[in-house]
Amino acid sequence: MSITQAIGKEVKSYHWFVQLMLLLVLVGAAAAVYRFVFGLGATTNLNDRYPWGLWVSFDVVTAVPLAAGSFTLGAIVYCFNIKKLEPLIRPAIVTGFLGYSLVCVGLLVDLGQPHKGWHVLFFWNLHSPMFEVAMCVFAYTTVLFLEFLEPVGEKFGWNLSLKVLRKLHMPLVIAAAGISTLHQSSLGTFFLIAVEKLHSLWYNPLLPLQFWMSAISCGLCIIILEATATHKWMNQPNEGVLLRTIGKILPWTIGAYLVVRVFSLFFLTTGPLFDNPVMTRLFTVEMGGFVLALLMFSTTAVRNNDRLRAIAASVLVLTVILHRFNVSMFGMMDMNNIYYPSMTETLVTVGILAAHILFFVLIAKYFRIFVHSDGHEEPAQSCPSASAYSHG
Amino acid sequence: MTNHWIDIQHSDVIMCIGSNPAENHPVSFKYIDKAKDNGGKLISVDPRFTRTSAKADMYAQLRPGTDIAFLGGMINYVLNNDLIHKEYVVNYTNAAFLISDDFEFNEGLFSGFDKGSSSYSKESWAYQKDENGMILRDDNLKDPRCVYQLMKKHYSRYTPEKVCDITGTDLNNYLQLVKTFCSTGRPDKSATIMYAMGTTQHTVGTQNVRSYAMLQLLLGNVGIAGGGINALRGESNVQGSTDYAILYHILPGYLKVPTHTNTDLQAYLKKWTPTTDDPQSANWWGNTPKYMVSLLKAYWGEAATAENDFCYDYLPKRSGNYSYIKLMERLQLGGFEGLINMGTNPIVGGPDVQQIAKGLDKLKWMVSVDLWETETSVFWRRPGADPKTIDTEVFLLPAASSIEKEGSISNSGRWAQWRYQAIKPVGDAKSDAAMLDMWVKELKKLYAEDGVFPGPITDLAWDYGHEEEPDIDKVARECNGFFTRDTEVKGKRFKKGEQVPSFAYLKDDGSTVSGNWLYCGSYTEKGNMMKRRGLEDPGGMGAYHNWSWCWPVNRRILYNRASVDLDGKSFNQQKPVISWNRATRKWEGDVPDGGWPPMNEPGTKSPFIMIPEGYGRLFAAGLADGPFPEHYEPVESPVDNCMTAQQCNPAAMIPADFFSDSDKYPYVGSTYRVTEHWQAGAMTRNLPWLVELVPDMFVEIGTTLAKAKGLKNGDMATITSARGAIEARVLVTPRIKPLVVSGKTVEQVGMIWHFGFNGLAKGSSANVLTAAVGDANTGIPESKAFLCDIRKGGMKS
Amino acid sequence: MSRATISGEPDAFLIDLTKCTGCRGCMVACKQWNQLPAEETDFFSGEGYQNPKEMSENTYTVIKFREFEKNGHSIFSFYKEMCMHCDDPACVSVCPVNAFHKTPEGPVIYDAKVCIGCRFCMIGCPFDVPKYEWSKKLPLVRKCDGCYSRIKADLKPACVTACPSAMEYGPRSQMVQIAEERLKRHPDHYINTIYGKDEAGGTSVLYLSSEPYEELRFPSVPERPLPSYTWPALRLVPGIFATVVTGLTALTLFNHRKERLERERNKEKEAEQQRTVQAEEDKS
Ligand SMILES: Nc1nc2c(c(=O)[nH]1)N[C@H]1C(S)=C(S)[C@@H](COP(=O)(O)OP(=O)(O)OC[C@H]3O[C@@H](n4cnc5c(=O)[nH]c(N)nc54)[C@H](O)[C@@H]3O)O[C@H]1N2
Ligand SMILES: Nc1nc2c(c(=O)[nH]1)N[C@H]1C(S)=C(S)[C@@H](COP(=O)(O)OP(=O)(O)OC[C@H]3O[C@@H](n4cnc5c(=O)[nH]c(N)nc54)[C@H](O)[C@@H]3O)O[C@H]1N2
Ligand code: SF4
Ligand code: SF4
Ligand code: SF4
Ligand code: SF4
Ligand code: SF4
Ligand SMILES: [Mo]
Repeated sequence: MSITQAIGKEVKSYHWFVQLMLLLVLVGAAAAVYRFVFGLGATTNLNDRYPWGLWVSFDVVTAVPLAAGSFTLGAIVYCFNIKKLEPLIRPAIVTGFLGYSLVCVGLLVDLGQPHKGWHVLFFWNLHSPMFEVAMCVFAYTTVLFLEFLEPVGEKFGWNLSLKVLRKLHMPLVIAAAGISTLHQSSLGTFFLIAVEKLHSLWYNPLLPLQFWMSAISCGLCIIILEATATHKWMNQPNEGVLLRTIGKILPWTIGAYLVVRVFSLFFLTTGPLFDNPVMTRLFTVEMGGFVLALLMFSTTAVRNNDRLRAIAASVLVLTVILHRFNVSMFGMMDMNNIYYPSMTETLVTVGILAAHILFFVLIAKYFRIFVHSDGHEEPAQSCPSASAYSHG
Repeated sequence: MTNHWIDIQHSDVIMCIGSNPAENHPVSFKYIDKAKDNGGKLISVDPRFTRTSAKADMYAQLRPGTDIAFLGGMINYVLNNDLIHKEYVVNYTNAAFLISDDFEFNEGLFSGFDKGSSSYSKESWAYQKDENGMILRDDNLKDPRCVYQLMKKHYSRYTPEKVCDITGTDLNNYLQLVKTFCSTGRPDKSATIMYAMGTTQHTVGTQNVRSYAMLQLLLGNVGIAGGGINALRGESNVQGSTDYAILYHILPGYLKVPTHTNTDLQAYLKKWTPTTDDPQSANWWGNTPKYMVSLLKAYWGEAATAENDFCYDYLPKRSGNYSYIKLMERLQLGGFEGLINMGTNPIVGGPDVQQIAKGLDKLKWMVSVDLWETETSVFWRRPGADPKTIDTEVFLLPAASSIEKEGSISNSGRWAQWRYQAIKPVGDAKSDAAMLDMWVKELKKLYAEDGVFPGPITDLAWDYGHEEEPDIDKVARECNGFFTRDTEVKGKRFKKGEQVPSFAYLKDDGSTVSGNWLYCGSYTEKGNMMKRRGLEDPGGMGAYHNWSWCWPVNRRILYNRASVDLDGKSFNQQKPVISWNRATRKWEGDVPDGGWPPMNEPGTKSPFIMIPEGYGRLFAAGLADGPFPEHYEPVESPVDNCMTAQQCNPAAMIPADFFSDSDKYPYVGSTYRVTEHWQAGAMTRNLPWLVELVPDMFVEIGTTLAKAKGLKNGDMATITSARGAIEARVLVTPRIKPLVVSGKTVEQVGMIWHFGFNGLAKGSSANVLTAAVGDANTGIPESKAFLCDIRKGGMKS
Repeated sequence: MSRATISGEPDAFLIDLTKCTGCRGCMVACKQWNQLPAEETDFFSGEGYQNPKEMSENTYTVIKFREFEKNGHSIFSFYKEMCMHCDDPACVSVCPVNAFHKTPEGPVIYDAKVCIGCRFCMIGCPFDVPKYEWSKKLPLVRKCDGCYSRIKADLKPACVTACPSAMEYGPRSQMVQIAEERLKRHPDHYINTIYGKDEAGGTSVLYLSSEPYEELRFPSVPERPLPSYTWPALRLVPGIFATVVTGLTALTLFNHRKERLERERNKEKEAEQQRTVQAEEDKS
């Protein structure tokens, strides 16, 4: 049996959904190739008025908070030593690693000179938020990679390196949290330069803080959604109890965010606020989303109900997505000249999303990332990492 | 230009009327801006609000073809309010002269009109003279037969209300503008008029210019710094080309072309050398024999002798009007076998071009000498033509561009500036001079073999070297002129072959050669004066006498003897052009119009030295269509002439079969230029950088007409006239407004004339619509006012 | 030696819009000097004779036409758009790889060799100046470089040289002075503002105008240099990082110490218990 045949056979054995994801990834990859063959101008709807489009708004500005689960959870579990959330950690790391890797992929497709991407590491400009973010993303992806090496190491039984990795674990978690704080917020700093370009409903000097705070809530909600999904579709145990704990944290993080947001709106904003009906509508929906999520997570009945909790988490995630789009795209739009993504842009982004799901599923399939797995796998106690997580 | 570009900065009021310098002479704005910085006011009078209007302190809109009414009102205002510069008007103009009792003006016609020939006999337009031939005058300007009074009477009909009724100008706007301009009759104020094709391209074009000149004379604005009437010349060397006789009726230096009645040199000189009995008149044209003989010597050299009338017989004599329109009429009748287009593109630039194009079909051969493949050079490819039926053999000779050759170029301010070759001609291109040199040499050979009347060709003094490129330096030397033998003139001794220092030393005995007496002084023993680049400006008046050279005799402002009072003191002490130094008994400043002492001293001469009587002409008997400008409607007009029953210029050049229909074509059409394109377009429609700026043929209309016709900005429209139809993109602009004329709303349709069917950017030619009707004096086509219609959609729709 | 090294300060353009005739010689001169291709245009792409519509990879400077009616008068105005060569440029500050550089002579120049094509400069520039080579597979940024090579050769920028009436070029303070003199001499001619003097913290392109700048659609730009909006946040980066890392380390150590202590105490307790049990056992 040749390798292709083997792969073909393996792929055929996948669930139809996984196959669909694979297809989307392939289409996305083809679209990316298309972009390089025909150039950005011909294949995207980007232009001098809209130099940044879907790829920056989604693949970078939005994908980063969506991948915020691992650093938030890491910090909560280790630093606050809330151990019961431990089982959620590995999936979060995988999600984070995938998320950031794909951010890099998205960036490379978007860059005009991807072959020079490495310049960022050598031509430092401390004044550039993008330099800051790039350095962080690079550092953080490395951190996540190292963290991700654990299940990989396990799989292949690299005992020595595992030991080293476990020693490094704590510093890595803390570094991850520090770096994430910086780049999550610096993504907000990006738009501080757009003084007269970004609508005042979003432009204020605390944008970086808001980006960071909303990223925390967003990361937590992603964990809720991920756990719920893996339970539902990947035969993983119900982590409901743990998720309830996260649910209890969320009203505080969302609440704090809203306080900062409202404060900035009323005290730190200079331009006219409600001069543009479209902007006003987008803003209303967005604020409504945050408030709704806050109210839902504040309700015990919601927190304790798997379905409702997942819905609440979706509300928040969608709201954060909207916020990022509002800041990076809609809030800078000229109403007489609307940007919308081209087919190529859409396919690449869909491909990246699909890749995320696909790789997660595949990694889950081939590596041990669920440590509280059910009976027919190795018993939990015998899982070396279980104890490793509490070595501190 | 009476003055020059740099001098514009000295104006207190600048009126751009019939010109759009911001777009067509952008560099002039450097000096207009300087004037404005010094507190000067800029006035723009134009049917459209142009880029010049945008920079103006005052703007007045007028209907195309109504400048005489506009100016008539100004003249009336000056006279009524006694704003004239009295000292100037009495002493330097013919205001005080008495006119023959036979002269009269009746119902739009001056005395002496002959209906049959549509022309005037001018006997009744004469001055009254005493028995000694001296003109009678009344310095009190009271005599009813004096020019001043006749003029006052004539223009009293041009009340502001009447004027605005004709021109469509807003009355308040008009009054304000008139007041500003006419405030410059004070000796210490100056105003200038910058005009160009908006003025001249009318059947009353020459009279338009006359009306400007009259107003300026009345205000004492001619000859002074910041004054004058300044024709903004067009093609880069068009000044040089007219100086060198590009027109059919003149020889170099504005000598007259002989007519068939000037049977010999004597007859010619008698006819064209003006005389005067006034000892105070310089009557410069009295020197015509010297200039003519020197020119003939330049043409035929050794062969031209006193015995053979200096080969006068060799000169072709004309027996009619060979102006552009007439030539084109003849072309259409199959009257020519061949045609050489040297740097011209008549089937885009001429009037009624479809007819001209059809005329080309009848040629046996045609040569185009150009930088580009012009529409004319591929006329058989024009839309609607069938190449199979056209037998003309066509040659396109590649010409070297201005930067690929050396020579002089004369600007509007009459400055002849030497240009050097920047690069060698590209490809097979040759300079026009090289081509002419080759042609003449070949012709000489052919005529020597078996010419019917070979003399004029074989005897030509043609010695510009044997290189492929003729020696342009030799040409310049000959234009200036040299002595053919050792001579003494005015007490100075000259050697054979020596350059003539100035035209004052030219002679009528064959001892001097001069290709163009006006340029005598441009290349002296001191060298090529046109090459000078001195930046000295001792008077601080921007005259730069050591920068190149200007005709005549490096005089930067013409008629500058009129800028001083009778004692030779400058009227405006702040901005003197010249002044008389009593101690040295010399003029200081610019080169004066002759070195004679001021008017209060014996031996003086009157300042207008080119005019036989020596005075600026408010009343000018020399023109074909009357001594005073009178308002007539353009040949095609939507309204009746409300001044008189005479609808249009009775002496205008109008073909017998001309027809038009103001019901079918109700709108006033006009053609003009934009900065981004050049003329018939070959030079710019082939350059991507300019095509990018103005890629399409377009037509400008106001918002009301657009609404009435359902036209939106950018739509394609068809514009029709009695001559034909074109299509163009529509620019709807608030800058063009309808005019209320005699109570009737008149809409304007303005368009550029730069497009044609060939080249990188193609489009319809506006000249499909224009009429081949011409000015009474010059024959210039009336491209600025005609009737048209416009409808939505392209020609196929 | 270049001019700035003599005068000791950056040069600036002074563009007096009251003297600009919209002749567009500057646009053609720019294309010629920089050998930029012409753009495909169709009719006009804005008011008046506007073309091209705006600056682009192939058009570093553009004359913007405005035509409108005001108090019954026609206004036809022309405004030259180009890089403003800011004193403290946003493009320089946001570029992650330092591809932009403000020269001492005044021009803000660009190094194509290091640019990664992220287009942040385009977002950052308040005047929307940097343009992208959308037509290319591996695009770079393009913009007016103030004719830096000419400046280095002691020539004036191509557009200034071509301009018949509206532009001056020289040391910035001198340009400001000329502008102020004009404002003083002809207060009725001008809007009493030199656009660019303070905009975006000051630029090397200064404008005078007879029409309010907003009516000509000049971009509205803060007076503070743009980098001063991002720097306060970026400045905090090391501090925040240090705080977060030390905070979290402390927190972790603290939380885990409690646990360890408890564990140890438990162990001790166990040992104690064992001991007592033992002792009791022994007793019994
Ligand atoms: N860029 C550029 N410059 C050029 C040229 C070119 O083609 N392109 N051509 C050159 C040549 S050869 C010439 S002759 C000159 C011509 O220079 P201009 O005479 O300035 O050129 P035009 O645009 O034909 O006409 C000038 C103005 O006259 C206005 N006008 C039309 N009818 C009337 C009228 O009856 N009365 C008044 N007062 N105004 C009227 C028109 O609206 C127009 O704005 O330009 C020279 N300069
Ligand atoms: N409707 C309308 N018609 C008009 C006018 C108008 O205002 N309205 N204006 C009129 C006026 S003022 C003028 S001057 C005429 C102009 O009419 P044309 O003279 O026919 O027009 P141009 O396009 O200037 O033609 C000059 C040609 O010379 C070529 N050329 C340039 N340099 C050289 C050279 O060194 N040697 C040679 N051999 N060729 C060279 C150019 O490529 C160009 O094709 O048009 C007139 N026609
Ligand atoms: S084209 Fe030449 S002649 Fe005409 S304004 Fe420009 S510089 Fe002067
Ligand atoms: S105008 Fe824009 S591109 Fe030019 S220097 Fe300023 S920020 Fe940079
Ligand atoms: S596109 Fe190039 S020049 Fe602009 S910010 Fe990015 S790296 Fe810097
Ligand atoms: S300074 Fe140079 S690059 Fe910039 S607009 Fe002017 S000509 Fe173009
Ligand atoms: S060259 Fe000067 S006058 Fe002409 S459009 Fe440009 S800035 Fe204005
Ligand atoms: Mo002309």
